[in-house]
Amino acid sequence: MKRELFALTIVFLIFVAFPAALFGYQAQRTTTTGARVIALTANAPANGGWQPDAIRVNVGERVRLRIAAPDVVHGFAIPALDIYVDEILPGHVEEIEFVAARAGRYPFACTRWCSVDHWRMRGVIEVIDPGNPDPPLPTIAPPLYQQMNIDIDAPHPAQNVPAQRPSAARGARLDVSVPGDLRAQSPSNVFAELRGDPALKAYSDGQLWDVVAFAWKRASGDPASPGADSALARGSKLFVRDCAACHGETGKGNGPAGRNLPGLAAMQTDSRMAHGAYAKRGPADFTDAAQMLGASDVLLQGKVLRGGMGTGMPEWRTLYSDQDMWDLIGFIRSFVFDYGMSNAK
Amino acid sequence: MTMNRLELTQVPIVKKILVSRWLPWSLVALTLPVFVLAILAGLFGTPAGSRNFGIVFVWIVWWALVMLLLVPFAGRLWCAMCPIPAPGEWLQRRALVQPRAGGRLYTLGWKWPKRFNNIWLQNASFLAVALFCVVILTTPLVSALVLAAFALVALAMSLLFERRAFCRYLCPVGGFIGLYSQLAPVEVRVKDHALCATHKNKTCYVGSAAGYGCPWLVFPAALDKNTYCGMCTECFKTCPLDNLALYARPFGADLLTSRGRRLDEAYKAFIMLTCALAYSIVLLGPWSVLKETAYAVGSVEWWVYAASFFAANLAIVPGLFFACAWLARRIARAATSTRELFVAYAYALVPLGLAAWVAFSLSFVLVNSSYAWQVLSDPFGWGWNLFGTADWKWTPYLAGWIPLLQIPILLVGLAAAIALALRAARELRMPQRAALPIVAFCAAFTLAMLWLYV
Amino acid sequence: MNQTRRVIVIALTALLILVALFIPIPTNASAPQTRTLEVTARQFAFEPATLDIQRGDTVTIHLESLDAAHGLYIDGYAVDLAAEPGKRAQATFVADKEGKFKFRCSVACGALHPFMIGEMNVQPNFPFVRATAVTLIATIGAVVFFWREE
Repeated sequence: MKRELFALTIVFLIFVAFPAALFGYQAQRTTTTGARVIALTANAPANGGWQPDAIRVNVGERVRLRIAAPDVVHGFAIPALDIYVDEILPGHVEEIEFVAARAGRYPFACTRWCSVDHWRMRGVIEVIDPGNPDPPLPTIAPPLYQQMNIDIDAPHPAQNVPAQRPSAARGARLDVSVPGDLRAQSPSNVFAELRGDPALKAYSDGQLWDVVAFAWKRASGDPASPGADSALARGSKLFVRDCAACHGETGKGNGPAGRNLPGLAAMQTDSRMAHGAYAKRGPADFTDAAQMLGASDVLLQGKVLRGGMGTGMPEWRTLYSDQDMWDLIGFIRSFVFDYGMSNAK
Repeated sequence: MTMNRLELTQVPIVKKILVSRWLPWSLVALTLPVFVLAILAGLFGTPAGSRNFGIVFVWIVWWALVMLLLVPFAGRLWCAMCPIPAPGEWLQRRALVQPRAGGRLYTLGWKWPKRFNNIWLQNASFLAVALFCVVILTTPLVSALVLAAFALVALAMSLLFERRAFCRYLCPVGGFIGLYSQLAPVEVRVKDHALCATHKNKTCYVGSAAGYGCPWLVFPAALDKNTYCGMCTECFKTCPLDNLALYARPFGADLLTSRGRRLDEAYKAFIMLTCALAYSIVLLGPWSVLKETAYAVGSVEWWVYAASFFAANLAIVPGLFFACAWLARRIARAATSTRELFVAYAYALVPLGLAAWVAFSLSFVLVNSSYAWQVLSDPFGWGWNLFGTADWKWTPYLAGWIPLLQIPILLVGLAAAIALALRAARELRMPQRAALPIVAFCAAFTLAMLWLYV
Repeated sequence: MNQTRRVIVIALTALLILVALFIPIPTNASAPQTRTLEVTARQFAFEPATLDIQRGDTVTIHLESLDAAHGLYIDGYAVDLAAEPGKRAQATFVADKEGKFKFRCSVACGALHPFMIGEMNVQPNFPFVRATAVTLIATIGAVVFFWREE
């Protein structure tokens, strides 16, 4: 009978104590963190997207996100809180802890291309101040393109196109300064102004284009770090992360994810599109000087922050800070202007 | 077969272990927690199969253990340690290790229906699992539900039927383990048949105060092949005459006996042979459309796949083999029926089939076994790191060597198949040339496998 | 068949197998080339899934992913790439081993990930030619060895 009791104890341990220990360990891992643990599951949008996609936490509360990715590789970012998890491998769990200091709505998003609908994979963390649960909504200034009344869907062909790729390095060696705020002007117009200046008659068209390229490179710079490389590097990082899948690593508009955009296919059969022929192109080719040099930075910013309204081009207003936006546009210029970066192909 | 055997039970410690009532309970006590964890991980763990204990430890670690080690070298030993029928058997006995007086079992004790006293149901259950294997192998939840269903059916059957009816007649795994256990270099047999004849009580079959009657419904004195002996060692305990032994023997010894050859076992051999080839094509081949079709259960294409899969297993491969048997009969101008040749020759496919399964298994086991380190530390994919191995990278082991391992294994299987085909011709009193169509069939199969892997 | 004859059969078969394994096979293969192969990956397929190259070629594989993160690991070659849409990957290697080498996805990508497999055939595929020869020799050898007319 003693043997039987021993065996029975072992079987009991296997069927009851062992599972209890497993689940107990998991529960203990959660309770001993001292933070509020929130399980977040990253699924590709077709499999359900973020679960949950809305999270409420309190100001000052220590929050620990436990992020799992059951299907493919995902990433996670709350840009406004400067929280980034660059890689969540399937079956792994990434943990990140934060304390939100200020109330507000903080969008989060997947940062690794995970399916054709990757860009839909977004959610929001609402940080609430219990003492002031219903603060007035912040007022947000309308974007520049609206303030300036620019139709960002209208064609914007460049009036002047350089014969060779303008080089910022060559432009820097020429003693020509370009006055004024460049953001509202297209490079093509700035070139036309310089060309019309009798004092610059001695310079060739190519040289003036080099001057324009240098002016744009300098303007895209980060005031805090002269030389502008850090701003361009940040812009490059954003481009690789968010844009290259459709617009291509070389900016030619031929990325694999942009080839069969569902919105685009619908547009190609819809004759009522205001600028039909223009919208049908698919992802913009950033190396196309005839288009790019006719667009001001403000116009490009409008396109990026508003998105393509059904073409498959997402809106980035909710995820990008102003600085992100200008860094990215500064970098996008490098597909036409030679900034001496390695991406020139 | 009495030749060339070595009685392992002459070693006192071996004897002591086999007679002990702690066997097989202690083996099951080792596998049961793994089984429980596999089911829990499948039900509650991550859906990412490569990081779920339920997938990795069942379909990679357990599969490698059974197909590469236990079956070739220890036959049905897995059946002795299998956790699936254990709860039912314990319930039948209302005991874990102790014998009951008289070995009476708590079960309705229905007799298994005569018409299913064969392995056709095992052939069917294996084909059913094999058809859905792409889903079962890759989806932790489905895998866990299938395993849990096996356990529940085994439990229910042990309450309704006498002894281990599930293992003997229904288990999809037991069917092929039994077939290939004929190759294993070990066997449980009685030492002296004459002694058994003098023993009136037949406690090995009906049970005694020392233990239970054979759970596998086998009369040990009648054992002449491993196919239906579950190696549970109950007969070592119930034989009052010390007449049971564990023997080491040459590989494949069971296939030298021509008695008791049956169509259901022959079909088991065809199904296994066909599935080894089919999996090598569908799972490990470069044709993604096949994988996607096999995965898209319920679609029109899947029904075509399912029909082709059954046709290949039940008609095409056996049909080709039947043609070879017919040709053999023509060559020999034999009086034997083609059907009899068909069944007899099919046993030559046993070593060929096992070699094909070992070759197939090597290919995905070596590549994927490094997942085992990760799931040991994090069985549920919940972010645990129990042993510090959770973040070890996926590393294929010996990936470049796999074809070089597969070639000799397939050739050994082929040589054994040829020996058995020639032997079968002699047993059927036909000239040796009557084996040549079968030899050609086996060589063609081997070349097909080589073409897929080399 | 007596003992001596069986020993002779075994020895002869073994000898022929050794010859089939190690005899140099003359080839009039063209001079090694430099090849660039474009491979795309999606759930759960490579395109093309079969790559044919010549031994000695210097091969550059560009991997482009169409839907999510994928990898490309070639058995027997120390090649492991990881790509995702917008991030192509490439590797250059010399195909110094002939034969068939499976390549597979090395970044978990969903249910069928473990079966996302392609094949690289480095021609001439001598291992297969030799394996075929050995199979035929072994078949004949086994038939003769086990042949016992009564």
